[in-house]
Amino acid sequence: MVPAAVQHEKAREDDELLARVAAGNQGALSELIARHGRGLRVFAARYLGNEGDAEDVVQEVFVTVWKQAARFDPARGRASTWLYRITANRCIDQRRRRALRSFIWLDDVRDEVPSLEADAEATTAARQELAIVRDGLSRLPERQRMAVLLRAVGDLDIAAIAEVMGGSAGSAEQLLVRGRRALRDHLAMAAAGRERKSS
Amino acid sequence: MTRDEFERNKRRFGDTVETWPAPLRQQARAFMVDEAGLDDDPDTALDRLVLEASLVDGDDQALARKVLARIDSDRTRSSVVPRFFLAPAGLAACAAAALLAVTVVGYQVARQQDDLQDSELLALASGARLTDEGGPGIVDEPGIGADPIEEDSL
Repeated sequence: MVPAAVQHEKAREDDELLARVAAGNQGALSELIARHGRGLRVFAARYLGNEGDAEDVVQEVFVTVWKQAARFDPARGRASTWLYRITANRCIDQRRRRALRSFIWLDDVRDEVPSLEADAEATTAARQELAIVRDGLSRLPERQRMAVLLRAVGDLDIAAIAEVMGGSAGSAEQLLVRGRRALRDHLAMAAAGRERKSS
Repeated sequence: MTRDEFERNKRRFGDTVETWPAPLRQQARAFMVDEAGLDDDPDTALDRLVLEASLVDGDDQALARKVLARIDSDRTRSSVVPRFFLAPAGLAACAAAALLAVTVVGYQVARQQDDLQDSELLALASGARLTDEGGPGIVDEPGIGADPIEEDSL
């Protein structure tokens, strides 16, 4: 767990950066991107299953931050939670757009993320395990996947996950517990399958 | 995370790992746990695995450049086209104005055609025969407009 004093210091840095962004300082925006860009991109890429879409979404997020930084109120929540909330909303919009485009045959939507089969030839057991985790994540219901990723990638606590997803802390915890259980079951099934094959 | 990466991030974000941004923070924690030969609790271990499986390559500086370029292009565009016209309300207002203009033009065209139809209907009502070639609406016929006294004389 992150000590409260350290968490406060980290949040204060982000708050200061956002205040400078609100004042029109592009250097502060670059610093904010250096701090959070990687996390947001990883979250979006794994949630959407497409790195190109994730890149677009994260660019949109920081353009929004540039325009709306003055609206951020540190009294109402942490800056990182605000950033993940904007990203989560943009990701949901992006998924809907993709679903609509594929429905009217404008888009042939396929996940760019390597599938289990594609990685089956991975030489090491560690790489295979990561491929199985990716496959398990892609099979999770969307809200469970979001909760698991916000925890693992964003390092957000239950209260922050609830704030990002717009629900109660109880429901966020339920989603996280179910998502983790489903992932563990998926890993266990894959391990059992490998053992059967080897025997 | 390797030792080199850990040291590089330490120089960049400070000695306190907990103030580092996610996901570098979790990667640094995992590195320190591995170095110390400790075991994570099951949930933390699964989170580490999920993070490791999720990592994608990317260049933060390139991202910053693209974002700043987008901001600049937005600024240029909004200085050329008034901001109002780019907002949803502005677009809706433009669409409504265009619809109104098309409606007015439609009424004007229809009114001209109506004038023609009115004269034809008037002719029919008064018993005149219409020409097939679309000539004058009312064809001169004996009897129509003729002097009634002359008719009587026949």
